[in-house]
Amino acid sequence: MYKFWWIVHKDLVAEYRSLRVWPTMLLLGIVVALVFSLQLELLPDQKRTMLGGLLWLAIFFAGMTAIERSFAAEREDDCWDGLRLFPVPWSQIYWSKLIANTVALGALECLLVPLFFGLSGAPLGSHLPELALVAILANAGLAAVGTLVSALATSLGRSGNLLVVLVLPLAIPVILAAAEATRLIAESHIDAAWWRWVQFLGAFAVVFVIVGTLLFPAAVED
Amino acid sequence: MTAAPIAIATSQLRKDFGRHCVLRGIDLAIPVGQCVALTGANGAGKTTLLRCLAALIRPTSGEVLWWGRPVRDESQRRLIGMVAHESRTYPHLTLRENLLFAARMCDVPHPADRVDWLLREVGLADRAGWRPREISRGLQQRLALARALVHQPPVLLLDEPFSGLDAAGSQWLCDTLRPLCQRGRTVCFTSHDPLITAQLADVVYELQSGRLHGVERRWTSLPTDAARRAA
Repeated sequence: MYKFWWIVHKDLVAEYRSLRVWPTMLLLGIVVALVFSLQLELLPDQKRTMLGGLLWLAIFFAGMTAIERSFAAEREDDCWDGLRLFPVPWSQIYWSKLIANTVALGALECLLVPLFFGLSGAPLGSHLPELALVAILANAGLAAVGTLVSALATSLGRSGNLLVVLVLPLAIPVILAAAEATRLIAESHIDAAWWRWVQFLGAFAVVFVIVGTLLFPAAVED
Repeated sequence: MTAAPIAIATSQLRKDFGRHCVLRGIDLAIPVGQCVALTGANGAGKTTLLRCLAALIRPTSGEVLWWGRPVRDESQRRLIGMVAHESRTYPHLTLRENLLFAARMCDVPHPADRVDWLLREVGLADRAGWRPREISRGLQQRLALARALVHQPPVLLLDEPFSGLDAAGSQWLCDTLRPLCQRGRTVCFTSHDPLITAQLADVVYELQSGRLHGVERRWTSLPTDAARRAA
């Protein structure tokens, strides 16, 4: 029943030993944060207004490097066929990849959120629980969409850049909602509008985890 | 005397890749305990047929039956073990970790004990902590076989298992597969080598242009050493 934990464990151990994806992903995020901080000559208020959008775009583009590899790595040495031969339900394979991608995005957020808030001078500590809630829900939504589309792109033999092109239209609602919710936090406006964005993020995550679970077998069918 | 039940069967199996037809109406029935060789030129469709038998690809038409039942449920995958061209092992896990992962995926009871026993059986116990790319092709084949057998499946499918092996490696594989058949396990493998197919297979099927031709019964029982030498 909990075989997906072993797949997650295997993926994380392999990444820990190979350091193939996470360093690239984290470095890309840091570069975007530094460019934002050093190149844009903005007033502190303007920086806080732009903080959410830039933060979530950086998380999206850097995070896609990890999500893209989640199935491409299985294709090496024909491991994907090996995984498909195991008596494991498709849903568990999808959830395992979803969890591994969520962990990767979570690590990226742990780095980028303090960095972006610090560089823009926005208060981070005063609304940490709210920020964590937004990050968790947006993370789940991005990982759910990204994992499904990554599986589809890999089975078509077209991973890489195509993944970003395919995921971006689907992820725009999450990026917009997370950006807005983060901006409201940076401006210390935790109000009904913020709560609506959070509800939207939660609904998106739930819907796409269910959709991903249902569509995954069709996405990976040869 | 009753006939052995059929482990794997295909009925009018057809597989197209785009406009290219690879398998053209294959009817095949492999009884339990039989060792079957699939031969044929490159591109004849041997690997495609084997992948259809393993339910890794869906046929364009026709069906594959495992013990008389269509393959629909993932729990049925427990019935099959497969050795492919590639080792299907994760390069960043050790040999032991690779086998442990496979054992856990297949719900093998006491996976660590089973894996340690298998490593000893295939002669890899002293390299258990190595990674797959640190061992030779022959040893990788041993690992792949151990991985396919980790859950003791009643059917073993092997795609060109002898390719890239030296004489000693081929002999080891023959010596390992033969007792499996004797113990009632069904084995189906593809090969280009007539000597090996004659040595190992009960029945040889030849694929030509997507059709099964020239069904040959080579041995009704395991060949004697003298017969093997003659072959």
